[in-house]
Amino acid sequence: MTARETGTRLLLAAAIALLAGLPFVGVPQFTITLLTEALIFAVWAMSLDLLVGYAGLVTFGHAAAFGLASYAAGYFAREVTADFFVALLVAEAVVGLVALTTGFVVTRVSGVAFAIISLCIAQVLFQVAVAWRSVTQGMDGLVGVPLPSIFGVTLGTGTPFYLLTLACMVVTYLALARLVDSPFGRTLHAIRTSEDRAAAIGINVRLHKWIAFVISWAIAGLGGTLMVFMKAGTTPMSLHWAESGNVLVMAIFGGIGTLLGPVVGAISFVFLRDEFTTRFTAWQLAFGLVFVVVVLAFPAGLAGIFSRAWNALWRARS
Amino acid sequence: MDLNFFLSSALNGVVYGAFLLLTSLGLSLVFGLGRVVNFAHGALYALGGYAVIAIINQTGAGYWTALLLAPLAVVPIAIAIERATIHPIRNRSDVYTLLVTFGMSFMLIGAIEYVWGTGTTLLKPPAPFEGTVEIFGNQYPLYRLLAAGVSLAVSGGVFAFIQWTPIGLRIRAITDDPGMAEAIGVNTKWLLTLVFGAAAGLAAFAGALGAPIFAVHPEMGMGILLDSFLAVILGGLGNLPGSAVGAMVVALTKSIGGGYIADWSVAVLFAVVAIALIFRPTGVFGRGRVA
Repeated sequence: MTARETGTRLLLAAAIALLAGLPFVGVPQFTITLLTEALIFAVWAMSLDLLVGYAGLVTFGHAAAFGLASYAAGYFAREVTADFFVALLVAEAVVGLVALTTGFVVTRVSGVAFAIISLCIAQVLFQVAVAWRSVTQGMDGLVGVPLPSIFGVTLGTGTPFYLLTLACMVVTYLALARLVDSPFGRTLHAIRTSEDRAAAIGINVRLHKWIAFVISWAIAGLGGTLMVFMKAGTTPMSLHWAESGNVLVMAIFGGIGTLLGPVVGAISFVFLRDEFTTRFTAWQLAFGLVFVVVVLAFPAGLAGIFSRAWNALWRARS
Repeated sequence: MDLNFFLSSALNGVVYGAFLLLTSLGLSLVFGLGRVVNFAHGALYALGGYAVIAIINQTGAGYWTALLLAPLAVVPIAIAIERATIHPIRNRSDVYTLLVTFGMSFMLIGAIEYVWGTGTTLLKPPAPFEGTVEIFGNQYPLYRLLAAGVSLAVSGGVFAFIQWTPIGLRIRAITDDPGMAEAIGVNTKWLLTLVFGAAAGLAAFAGALGAPIFAVHPEMGMGILLDSFLAVILGGLGNLPGSAVGAMVVALTKSIGGGYIADWSVAVLFAVVAIALIFRPTGVFGRGRVA
């Protein structure tokens, strides 16, 4: 391990320790709530990054996985048991099934067609959530989801739930970091660079895209499950394409193709939105402007800027 | 369900379809020309609705004058957007233009909210068209019929322009084969800028024309944007007659289906479009371009 890698790991460990310590050093409850939301979005944005940044599949329908898991976990928790892991398992089963079937079909295409078809699939789920009133309560949304419990202990809102979310986020990060560094991850990289060349050297492009799609949906499902417990319910808007757009903004703003980027992007998104909406009437204007500038001038996002600085620092020392 | 209900749903569908036609043509043209998927199209449509109200309130102009001026106000904005954001990234992957126009849509809606607020305005239909006529036993607003007629006439004009003018010929050449068109001396980049502006003008005109029918609010373009996408994909990207049929199919499915199976009709529509795009990527008629 080089000194630089050790340095990066120490920095990450310090960041996690800092996040875990925040509730115990007098950080206001409101900030913890915002941070919980940000970390859930971080899980979701990382799952999107696997598709967009590593497999090269830009999706405008990633809310589908998130919202579907919210509905499945929330409905199950309300009707059967509020055990977090059981609800998560149920949500993953539902999301996995939908991802396996729709993924099998949509991974036939890529580029703009993939973006639009994924949008269509998400809108189908959105419309079903609106129309299937006996289960989803239509536009009113699913309400009355109980607090989650882990091994029989009910988890209170605030700090306990925040720590659960942080743990989920860290596990997701580590698992994805391992995945993108594996031969599978390298193969995805080859596919993103050139689908034709990857196919020419014998890679089963569709199979790899399909697996990436299912994994991405499964991780988004974890985010959706956390979110339904945090908000004690969900609405069809969680499946709306505006949400798919938001998560895309987070991932790209933070920097796709790096796992830390989406985390940084999600945290900045939540806090900037809070800041803008309370102080400034046209937050969409400011946010749209920042997003356009990032896409045009800094395709590597915030993380790209950071990592360039970090690398430069280590180069300067050696 | 009685026949009158069916017929008036169908009529509503045709009226909406006429508006959808105007917005779909622009989307389809811009895609065919530059493979640009314009997510800001809905926001430009909304801008047209706001422009017509602003012109009436600021200058005291009549509705018809304002209707003609509103697109003229939006076209320069669209041309500036194309030059500043789409033009510089033409050599990058197609999905970047999708992301940039998505951001532009955010900005335009934000700008509308900043200038005009988040409220909803409903413009009164201009005299002497504020009344109703009896059709299929129901009272039907006269202005809706008139507006649908105007939309269809303008769309017909667009078709004629593409079919019979030298610029239309160039547009068709680029849509067919951009490389070859450029090789024989067609300036594809400037034409894309012009067509992007013209498409925005059409969207703004639709927004202005629809202001007395559909409520004017910052997010008014979102629904019609999505429906236009459906229409354009069904008909085949870049295939104008296909888009026209697609617009009518989408509008009629929504209005007639909506009357019988409520929100399920739209779910079915999206599913059909997703399947169509996978198995018939060039549209149902097989004459569009592959996305």
